[in-house]
Amino acid sequence: MVRFVIRRLLLAVTTLFAISVITFLLFFAVPSSPATVMCGKQCSPEQIAQTEHRLGIDKPIVEQYGTFVKGIFVGRVIGEGDFIRECPAPCLGYSFRTDEPVTDILGRTIPVTVSIVFGAAVMWLVIGVSLGMTSALKRGTVFDRFAIGVSLVGASLQVYFFGLVLLLVFVYSTGLLPTPSYTPFTENPGKWALGLLLPWITLGFLNSALYARLSRAQMLETLSEDYVRTARAKGLTKRKVYIRHALRAAITPIITIAGLDIGASLGGTVITESIFGLQGLGRTAVKAVGDLNLPIVLATVLVAAAFIVFANIIVDMLYAVVDPRVRLG
Amino acid sequence: MTIPKKETRKGTTVRLKIGALTAGALSVALVASGCSKTTEDGGSGDDKKAAVQSGLISYDAAENKGPAPAVEGGVKGGNVGILLPDGFEHLDPARAYVNVASLTGQLLFRSLNGYREDGKGNLKVVGDLAENPGTDVNKDCKVWEFKIRQGVKYEDGSPVTAADVAYGVARSFSKNLSEGPHYIQQWLADSKEYNATYKGPYDGGADLPPGVTVPDAQTIRFTFAKPQCDMPYAATMSTTVPVPKAKDTKTEYDRKPFSSGPYKIKSYAIGQSLVLERNPNWDGNTDPLRTALPDTFTWNFTLQADQVAERLVADADADKSSLSWVPVPAAQLAKTTTPEVKARVISGPTQYVWYMTINNNRIKDVNVRRALNYALDKDALLKAIGGSAAGTPATTLLSPTVGGFEKYDALPAPVTGDPAKVKELLGSTPPPPLVLAYANSPRRAAQAEAARKSFEAAGFKVTTKAIDPTNYYTEIGRKDNPYDLYLTGWGSDWPTGGTVIPPLFDGREIAETGNQNSAYFNEPSVGAEIDRIGGLPSEAERAKAWAALDKKIMTDFAPTIPAYYDASYTLIGSKVGNAFQSDAFGYPGLTNIYVKQ
Repeated sequence: MVRFVIRRLLLAVTTLFAISVITFLLFFAVPSSPATVMCGKQCSPEQIAQTEHRLGIDKPIVEQYGTFVKGIFVGRVIGEGDFIRECPAPCLGYSFRTDEPVTDILGRTIPVTVSIVFGAAVMWLVIGVSLGMTSALKRGTVFDRFAIGVSLVGASLQVYFFGLVLLLVFVYSTGLLPTPSYTPFTENPGKWALGLLLPWITLGFLNSALYARLSRAQMLETLSEDYVRTARAKGLTKRKVYIRHALRAAITPIITIAGLDIGASLGGTVITESIFGLQGLGRTAVKAVGDLNLPIVLATVLVAAAFIVFANIIVDMLYAVVDPRVRLG
Repeated sequence: MTIPKKETRKGTTVRLKIGALTAGALSVALVASGCSKTTEDGGSGDDKKAAVQSGLISYDAAENKGPAPAVEGGVKGGNVGILLPDGFEHLDPARAYVNVASLTGQLLFRSLNGYREDGKGNLKVVGDLAENPGTDVNKDCKVWEFKIRQGVKYEDGSPVTAADVAYGVARSFSKNLSEGPHYIQQWLADSKEYNATYKGPYDGGADLPPGVTVPDAQTIRFTFAKPQCDMPYAATMSTTVPVPKAKDTKTEYDRKPFSSGPYKIKSYAIGQSLVLERNPNWDGNTDPLRTALPDTFTWNFTLQADQVAERLVADADADKSSLSWVPVPAAQLAKTTTPEVKARVISGPTQYVWYMTINNNRIKDVNVRRALNYALDKDALLKAIGGSAAGTPATTLLSPTVGGFEKYDALPAPVTGDPAKVKELLGSTPPPPLVLAYANSPRRAAQAEAARKSFEAAGFKVTTKAIDPTNYYTEIGRKDNPYDLYLTGWGSDWPTGGTVIPPLFDGREIAETGNQNSAYFNEPSVGAEIDRIGGLPSEAERAKAWAALDKKIMTDFAPTIPAYYDASYTLIGSKVGNAFQSDAFGYPGLTNIYVKQ
């Protein structure tokens, strides 16, 4: 197990390194300079050069990359003369546009995205999986058909449509719910939940539809397996067969998908954040790309990649717990 | 005045900077060789003989004296919400330049001068920190003196001094705080490269920039190498906001600037929210511009434009005392037509004029340029981005917000274009194939398509070329760019023709790259006239002459196509009182609004 984890961690680091290099190179392949974008009407070539020097993007790319990586592990000093600033490890630099430490920006935006994804994932897993499993067990009944219908509707909807409909109905027209907002959980759990309820319902409902269909299909497949029939023939109760044998086998691929989905969502639920006016990681990343704000682009890309990579590792580890047939090594 | 956001000169995704109405003042400055006299008498705010300078600069003692006129029906108290899709890049007065930051800055800071507006179209430059808009000491626009009012205090109760204003100017020379307007710095340095020699008060630099003296605690004097008759306008910009040296936290100042205005920062989460509360040491009797009625102001920077419009249309309890500085998106305009909502629309022209710029390096035949003027369907260009809410068809180079503006139409055509006139003008000349470049955003792509159709309807063959929005103005600012037509916007930093005509149409300024004169129009007689106007003795004469030159350029040379005058169209909640569009900033101002009880 330990060897497995170490190996996967090393692979994760290599992946993140490759992603950071690619992002860096792609950024400098763009024809425009952040200094030009930041510059105003009275901007002369000399001022652009001055700004590029201030931002440190006048140095060779390899040197810039080396400085960036060094900053992550041991910190670095940014600026010159009276404007020197210590940037302790893990230093991801300062925003080109607002001069704010990137770690502060991440510290502010990651909790928003994590909160959205956490609540939505609970909803889609609990509702989706239980709906799908129950539907499989009640195959061919009215409940099953109803569940399939609902999941089809959910799978067909889009976040930008469903989210706006919820906003119109529950916020703008009736005022039943407050305008979505983010309050730190530690500050006021009630307000945190209420402010994120609509994003949770939106993401939760849409994703639960997919999970319901996936769970149902997996469960049906598992129920048709020989070992299930054998277990029933040996006299085990339906309940024991379904929960201890069938469910455990059916859930494995769902964990895989859920891990990837959650990991990818943590990298930024851009549309959801935009529709509900929440400043999470996704919106921050999109804005940074438009602004050519390299430090934030790099940081958000790396964080998003890290979420996916580590979600994969966790999924792999969970396999061993859920399915004893899987051996880590 | 400051520019709105997105898609302006120097960067579509960048800031719209208009500081106080924009830019070419530098050109005015550098070419105005003999601006001989100003008409003000240089007296103090109490001098009853002081008259309103012919134009927008007021030396009227009553208008320069606090407190600001009482707002009819205005009551103290409440919170005003401002709903926005983006946070400020900078609040530091040396770095803030976009209009939304400038409007906010008016609550936090006081610059030497400011704009006095009444919501009825009357806009005047008066002294804010200063007792009047500045004394032209030698009547040659080279030495300007400002007397700081007695009794103006910072948020900690300490007095505002002339040395603090000088220090504020000094720090704006630093390359690390370079995002703000640079007019005064360039005038002091007598060079576009304003910080080539003096680099600000850091790393051992002096606290006083060259050309700035502080004879006593209440007096600051600026000495320029060349006449700078627009100094009263330049002094409205945040470059002249006082910053006490002891409070200067350099780049950190952005996060918590020290207040000299009626409000101070209570909390600020960059990109998320900002809350201002009263500065107890602000004295309304020293302030001719602000009534400061609400107790607090709260900014929310996390909303989408559509969401803002939805909320303000719905006018729910939580949003009744809110407003926005983001124009209502085209898709939401239909919701603003009911009488109840329409009454809450704040609209009007901004300082911007949008041109379908013709590359005169490539289209050298004036008849073809005239034909292009007749060909463009300006109505379609506007409809592509929201119709009349987005602007009105233009025929002049100057915006209606500029002092001395005179409406004319040198090439009269229906707003949808006149293909028959195009054919008549071109005669046997075959229409040249055209390349139309545009910034690749949904709005500009829609406009480019509308323009292409109208040019093709008039017989031109047009190829469109999308350019990365972040690189758009850099690309068309290259003298040898391979495009014939491109849409460009220009807003003035203050409302004079001198901030528009010289930067856009003075051919002597054309360089290899970074050109603002992206029409590459180079006509010696226009250059000479620019110099002559710069030397005229009074603001009124200059205003009239700029308007005349505007007409001459279009009549004789048609170097560009004035497409439309930009307009702003925003919403307020039903409990916001005395909100009106600031002619200086293009959005509703905050200094004199109130919350209806």
